[in-house]
Amino acid sequence: MIGASISRWTMSYFAAALAWLFVALALMVAGLGFPAVHLASPDTLVLVHVVCIGWLSLAMCGALFQFVPVLVARPLFSEKWALPALGLLTAGLVSLLAGFLGLGGRLPAWLWLLPLGAVLLVGGFGLVVVDLGLTAWLRPVGPARFVLVGLASLCATIAFGAMFAFAHAGWAGSIGETILANGVPLHAIGGLGGWLTLTAMGVSYRLLSMFMLSPDVDDRKSNMTLAAGALAIAVAVVGGIVAIWLAFGLNVVLSIAAVLGLATAALYGRDLIGIFSGRKRRQLELNTRMAVLSFVSLAAAAFLGVVLVLTGTFAAHVGAFAFLAVFGWLSGLVLAKLYKIVAFLTWLEAYGPVMGRTPTPRVQDLVAEERASKWFVIYYVAVWLGTLTLVAGQPSAFRAAAAMMTIGLAGIVREVIRTRRLADVAGSLRLPDGACTPCLLCARA
Amino acid sequence: MTDYIDVDVRPILRAGGEPFSVIMSALDCLEPGQGLRLYATFKPVPLFAVMADKGFSHSAQALDAGEWEVLFTPTATATRQSAPASGTSDFDDWPEPIVRLDNRDLDPPEPMVRILAAAEKLGPGETLSALLRREPVFLFPQLEKRGYHWLGGFSPDGATYELTVRAPS
Repeated sequence: MIGASISRWTMSYFAAALAWLFVALALMVAGLGFPAVHLASPDTLVLVHVVCIGWLSLAMCGALFQFVPVLVARPLFSEKWALPALGLLTAGLVSLLAGFLGLGGRLPAWLWLLPLGAVLLVGGFGLVVVDLGLTAWLRPVGPARFVLVGLASLCATIAFGAMFAFAHAGWAGSIGETILANGVPLHAIGGLGGWLTLTAMGVSYRLLSMFMLSPDVDDRKSNMTLAAGALAIAVAVVGGIVAIWLAFGLNVVLSIAAVLGLATAALYGRDLIGIFSGRKRRQLELNTRMAVLSFVSLAAAAFLGVVLVLTGTFAAHVGAFAFLAVFGWLSGLVLAKLYKIVAFLTWLEAYGPVMGRTPTPRVQDLVAEERASKWFVIYYVAVWLGTLTLVAGQPSAFRAAAAMMTIGLAGIVREVIRTRRLADVAGSLRLPDGACTPCLLCARA
Repeated sequence: MTDYIDVDVRPILRAGGEPFSVIMSALDCLEPGQGLRLYATFKPVPLFAVMADKGFSHSAQALDAGEWEVLFTPTATATRQSAPASGTSDFDDWPEPIVRLDNRDLDPPEPMVRILAAAEKLGPGETLSALLRREPVFLFPQLEKRGYHWLGGFSPDGATYELTVRAPS
């Protein structure tokens, strides 16, 4: 078959991801992890991995299972792998978190939980990488190349992570200890920069030009952006390993990677301006307007990074920088696009069978954008306030900002559930003969 | 040496026409062992699978100004396969489209809705053509479920996707 059908498990991934995001926000409101405690403490490791694996990676995987087939106009290599992958990732994350809690003395110190979690996560991500990689590999055009580089970065990230997990359990020998002592920045750059950011950029090219009726970005331009991003990650990871090997500091390598990272953000900004200025659709939908706020957050994070480096305070404020990048840029973009993806997939699932035969609602009839936009605004304002409280060193105020983020998120999730249930569709159009009611957590095959 | 019959569909494509029926009728005129030399204004990738089904291998060569010369050579073991409903099934005798849609400036997913609505009105074996901005990847499974055949490809500049849909006969 040519073309893409609805991914059966994308909604399940989104639901699991949102559940983990609530867990992360609850931890922040409760004052567990940074900024209440040190950045490298076990509690912070819990928080960071809930956010990066539970929320961002699961949401990204769910989106990619749906969108890689769209990017390459070919069906997924294996639809059957998506659910076992979700199971392995969830079990691996739970085991990893229990291991971190053991490290921090909150649970018995069963440190074997860390390598066990690592093995499960390698299995889960392995299925994802092979499935998506083989799908994208067949036709690596345009945005699909970003996904391939993102998947390669994911491999590097989980390799580091697995090594750390074995080293924490004392099973990785002296080389493992050395890498654990020095390699954490490389793990973070591979994950946040390579896997999450480059993949999000790639997918955003297609989604934005699709929803705004804008021509696709010229391949030469997006290739340049991708090359800068891939080089930044390669310099950080490969150069970083060499520097650790030769016992140089990481400073030179990380500085070069940072300059390349800034160049990537600038080139991406140029591409986005091209998409927005070339659009045929003047009126922007909510998902695009809110994505703009995430692009503003990316630019602000880049600016904040430069200011912190120039004032020599980057190390002291790396938490604020990462917070803005993770919650303003990545999470903001994922939430904005998730809002639209759920509406579109739900519309296709419910009305696809009767389309053209009987009047059906439009995708826009499934959502109430005006009501949803206030929850997004609350979320973004809370993220920006949270960043300021971190820069100012105000942990209590930060908890208030996290509470405000939770309120915004709860509102967004309520809107998404209403969309899934067709709750905002006018009664007469809601379920014509032959249409099917979508179930909340998975799609009908 | 294989003997080739020349078919130049560039004038038809430049005039915005649909060259498939011309190609298919040329194919019917071939003697056993004869091949087809096709000139087109773009690389006719969707045609390759159709021709492979009919037992022709292809070799494509870029000419100046983005035009292509493609040699379709009969393979020794020609097997003809035909799937009941897919993008690469039997394309003999496609009639001229009775509906032409220009869906390039519609908001997604409106192009898909209009194509499906128009397809529902086709009589048996009739065709419609549509111009789109993108490859309609979500439309294909819907067409497949309803038993339609289709053929599509991008124009040379990559800006317009031309889709022809044929109702089951």
